[in-house]
Amino acid sequence: MLTRALYATLSSLLLTGLIISGCAKKPATTASTSAPAPAVAPAPAPRATPPAAAAPSTAAPAPAPAPAPLAGPAAARPSPKEFAAVDALKDVHFEFDKYDIRPEDVKTLDANASWLKSNAENLVLIEGHCDERGTNEYNLALGERRAKATMNYLVSQGVQANRITIISYGEERPVCNEKTDSCWAKNRRAHFLVKPR
Amino acid sequence: MVRRLAAAALLFALAAVTSLALWAPPPAARAQAVDVYINVTGGDKSKKINIAVPDFTLIAGTDQAVPKLLASVIGNDLTLSGFFSVVAATGSIPANNPAALAQTWTAFAAAGAHAGVHGLLAIRGDRLEAEMRLYDLTTPEHRLIASRKFESPAPQSRRLAHKISDEIVLQFTGEPGVADTKLAYVVGPPGSKEIVVADYDGAGAGNVTRNASINLSPSWSPDARSIAFTSFMNGYPDLFRLFPFERQRPVQTLASFVGINSSPGWSPDGRYLALTLSKDGNPEIYVLTLATGVLQRLTRHAGIDTEPTWSPSGQQIAFVSDRAGQPRIYVMDKDGSNVRQLTSGGFHTQPRWSPKGDPIVYTQRSGTHDLWAISPGGSSPRQLTSGGGDNQSATWAPDGRHLAFQSNRTGRWQLFFMTVEGQTTTQVTQGGNEATSPSWSPRLP
Repeated sequence: MLTRALYATLSSLLLTGLIISGCAKKPATTASTSAPAPAVAPAPAPRATPPAAAAPSTAAPAPAPAPAPLAGPAAARPSPKEFAAVDALKDVHFEFDKYDIRPEDVKTLDANASWLKSNAENLVLIEGHCDERGTNEYNLALGERRAKATMNYLVSQGVQANRITIISYGEERPVCNEKTDSCWAKNRRAHFLVKPR
Repeated sequence: MVRRLAAAALLFALAAVTSLALWAPPPAARAQAVDVYINVTGGDKSKKINIAVPDFTLIAGTDQAVPKLLASVIGNDLTLSGFFSVVAATGSIPANNPAALAQTWTAFAAAGAHAGVHGLLAIRGDRLEAEMRLYDLTTPEHRLIASRKFESPAPQSRRLAHKISDEIVLQFTGEPGVADTKLAYVVGPPGSKEIVVADYDGAGAGNVTRNASINLSPSWSPDARSIAFTSFMNGYPDLFRLFPFERQRPVQTLASFVGINSSPGWSPDGRYLALTLSKDGNPEIYVLTLATGVLQRLTRHAGIDTEPTWSPSGQQIAFVSDRAGQPRIYVMDKDGSNVRQLTSGGFHTQPRWSPKGDPIVYTQRSGTHDLWAISPGGSSPRQLTSGGGDNQSATWAPDGRHLAFQSNRTGRWQLFFMTVEGQTTTQVTQGGNEATSPSWSPRLP
């Protein structure tokens, strides 16, 4: 059993809390809070429908304001799906958290540049990839740097920049799924795809 | 503010008193005259308020499942809040029977409960009407602390319970709980990731994208009505936002420039979105004004700059840069000026600025990944997670006290909760699909 003294202590403590609550907060009311109106609703927005996909028992707050203008033009970019691999173009690889071209990959890139120059009817897509270490957003940026570094090398070897498109997949498209050094090394790559102009 | 501090003092004092009570454990009691069975839950109660939540008393309607569900969800919410230890109970208190109520509370008090929740529920057609009465069981007369009525559509019984839980937390701490919130997160293996929204406790998960591409980095807007995210749905990594509560409303394109369009970070007022674009050569941070579409570039550096996160004042932005060789956390003013390096000597990504202003939580990679916290002023970093595989991708609850994050400690990525004090972690998501990149919504409107 709790002692009387304990009760008294607890009571006074709880009472203190209640007094403080009572002073600082609106008194507890019987107001419904089930469906407050939105704070701002500048324009009549589409009617909110309970999200079937997001569970019928979940909340459906009031509709959001009308969409803001779009940011930036959608650039004319060829769909990555239109590109296909060719045996002649080999991957190059990168050290962990690096995006400079390794000396041992220069030969491969030179061969790729040479093929692209003699197959000038092709556009090329360079994919930049990372291993799963690090984190998604950073790796998306890192993959971009790898694709860009690879592109810059090809351009330095005489491939026209306007034939090259780059894309980063970050860590999202590994070719190897084991958690080993050799697997991670395979995933840190620039991959080449082509399509006819 | 005074009130909040005082409430904290109350909790601290209660903790001391509770540990006294543990020296002489009360016998497990069983109420005789009423249909309520209780016993004391296990676990560490030394810093918690012991609270009893019997099944709701059904005063209209016939569905016996709802009164039990409400008590069960509230009990779980109060446990997850970290403030309470829930005294197990089965059965409900009879309606309009003061003697039975008094006897129930006396029995719970004897079992160590400091507070009791008497819930009343009327089911009227497709509406639920509930009343929550909160009692102080440490007073001989079982003082009524607060009573409040709630209404909800019948299918939203879980949300009704969450609202009641948040009110109970408010009564004890001066700030509402965070049970009436959502998590958005990414589900799926590499190459096939969709965004899912669930209640904060993992219940009711459902897809909000179904585009069979790669969807990343969901981020709730401050009004809780939209989610910004990166998607490859059009082939390239572009930035979009979707409206999870408006089924017919199409996804809006926010940025689709050449290169990457990623890492959405909302300003606290929801008027701006910080983001990463590589359209000008390499990944840099920009701020998009949503009402006008105007872009302002903040960083100008040859390295990677990404993952912007705003201070709650809206005056500063923390971000990741590899300008020192490895990724580290930096802070700049909102116009890009006054850049300073916050962390050093490691591989640091994923900064998340507390909605209370302090600390900034981030991910450190040293073999595996773990969460760390650092003051925006640059105090010594404090490690929040350790052991148990990788722990990363933190997101703050609106109370600035709870964090959700992803961990592979079970062998697959799943979401977990912890408090920023680093207390017990709780697994949120289960099952076969991997769950990553959580974003905790603001309190729902």
